[in-house]
Amino acid sequence: MIELSNVSISYRNPDQPAKPVLENVSLLIERGEMVYLVGPTGSGKSSLLRLMYMENKPDRGFVQVSDYRSDAIKASEIPYLRRSLGVVFQDFQLLPDRSIFDNVAFAQYATGSRGKAVKSKVLHVLSRVGLSHKRRQFPHELSGGEQQRVVIARAIINDPWIILADEPTGNLDPTVADEIQRLLIGLHRSGMTVIMATHDYRMVRNFPARTLAVMNRRIVEVDPRSLQG
Amino acid sequence: MIPYAIKEGLAGFRRASFSSVAATSAMTVALVMVGLFVIITWQARGVSEWLKQRVGEVELFLEDTTNEMAEALYQRAQATPGVAETEYISRERAQEIFREEFGEEAEVFFDGAFLPASIRVRVEPAYVNTDSLNSLVTEFSSWNRVDEVVYNRPLLAKVQDNLQLLSMIGFSICFLVLIASIFLVANTIRLAIYSRRLMIRTMKLVGATDGFIRKPFIVEGILQGLISSVLAIFILWVLHVVARTYVPQLAGMEASSVIMFAFLMLFAGFLLGWVGSESAVRRFLKHISLH
Repeated sequence: MIELSNVSISYRNPDQPAKPVLENVSLLIERGEMVYLVGPTGSGKSSLLRLMYMENKPDRGFVQVSDYRSDAIKASEIPYLRRSLGVVFQDFQLLPDRSIFDNVAFAQYATGSRGKAVKSKVLHVLSRVGLSHKRRQFPHELSGGEQQRVVIARAIINDPWIILADEPTGNLDPTVADEIQRLLIGLHRSGMTVIMATHDYRMVRNFPARTLAVMNRRIVEVDPRSLQG
Repeated sequence: MIPYAIKEGLAGFRRASFSSVAATSAMTVALVMVGLFVIITWQARGVSEWLKQRVGEVELFLEDTTNEMAEALYQRAQATPGVAETEYISRERAQEIFREEFGEEAEVFFDGAFLPASIRVRVEPAYVNTDSLNSLVTEFSSWNRVDEVVYNRPLLAKVQDNLQLLSMIGFSICFLVLIASIFLVANTIRLAIYSRRLMIRTMKLVGATDGFIRKPFIVEGILQGLISSVLAIFILWVLHVVARTYVPQLAGMEASSVIMFAFLMLFAGFLLGWVGSESAVRRFLKHISLH
């Protein structure tokens, strides 16, 4: 379960007054849900995701993810929270000097896993995203869609229960974007909670799910089929 | 099986070869600077000891006395704390020295044995300062049969002042160089770590603890520090050899001193690499943004 309770957050730039992004927002997302966050650029979708993986903390209110509450979590506990999350960004952020296999295995090594189990797990998740045949290649040898699949493989290798995806299809053409979307829906059907920020309304209409619009510092639930644009 | 941090640390050296070379070079320069000052200080200490030995001589002129009495005073002077060496100069020997120094013209002064017997005391370098010498002079003057006690007070004051000034200048320069070197090393390591921000970001994103992220960077920093030490030792050795061909008076180093110096340099490199990388990665982890 993810809960936001009366959350307010502002951006602070050194020479400018604080700009409020979210004000007094409350929200509950149950385990296993698929949720879209929609809204124009700068509306606060990414800020909302950052609150969930606790890169930022709210100015007021609290965010709770599983047993971790933003107003009580210690800095040393944040890595353990992140092990229960998988984060996917629009810019793929793959390590260019490592093979696809190593990029995915890296997430296992970084959390202390070792040995043969890592190898079999990496092969398993790569086959799940349809890329086991490209495991020896390097990121620059892959297309954008393939690179995003690798990122998803890296995000799910530590068996998280939530996937937080920030515009994962933003850099991809519609056909490839739909493939990535099907992959994320597949993960949701296998039991994962998927929260995806997007402004691709076409995709939201094609693959409808619970949709939250972030606008005017508030969050409102909308009908995905009603989205225009 | 090699631990992950060591494997990654070694791999990091290969992967980011440019930044590794930059960090190693910066540390080598810093260690050469520090090593150079250690050597210069060591050489300067030799010169200062030599100077002090020259200045730290006290003459005890004796009244007319028997040989037994002179011998007793000589023994007493030798047993005095702070005295390194003593030499008894009899009236006859004093005349000989006078003759050696003034030649034929010395005969003009000869009216029997007019020069007194004396004891020449060479003071230990630690006692060669105005205060210690004054208290020694006071003590020697209080002895029976000692007529007069003298030492080269103006020369000592001059040497003392100059050595103080020189060591102050030396320490100031050394301090400045050390600060500049630490600054250079810290910035180069920070840049090297910044060049691998994507890796750090990914590690943080998948839930690696800060301690886990730091380890490979520390291994790499220590490795760079040790390589820098070896390079710095080699450069300093070449500089020392070249310097001795131009200034043969420079003191050579004993094998035990060379080994100790090499160990000190290795330890300094180890410490510089460790502290530099640890502080740089700590600071970076504090401010890194994941998006």
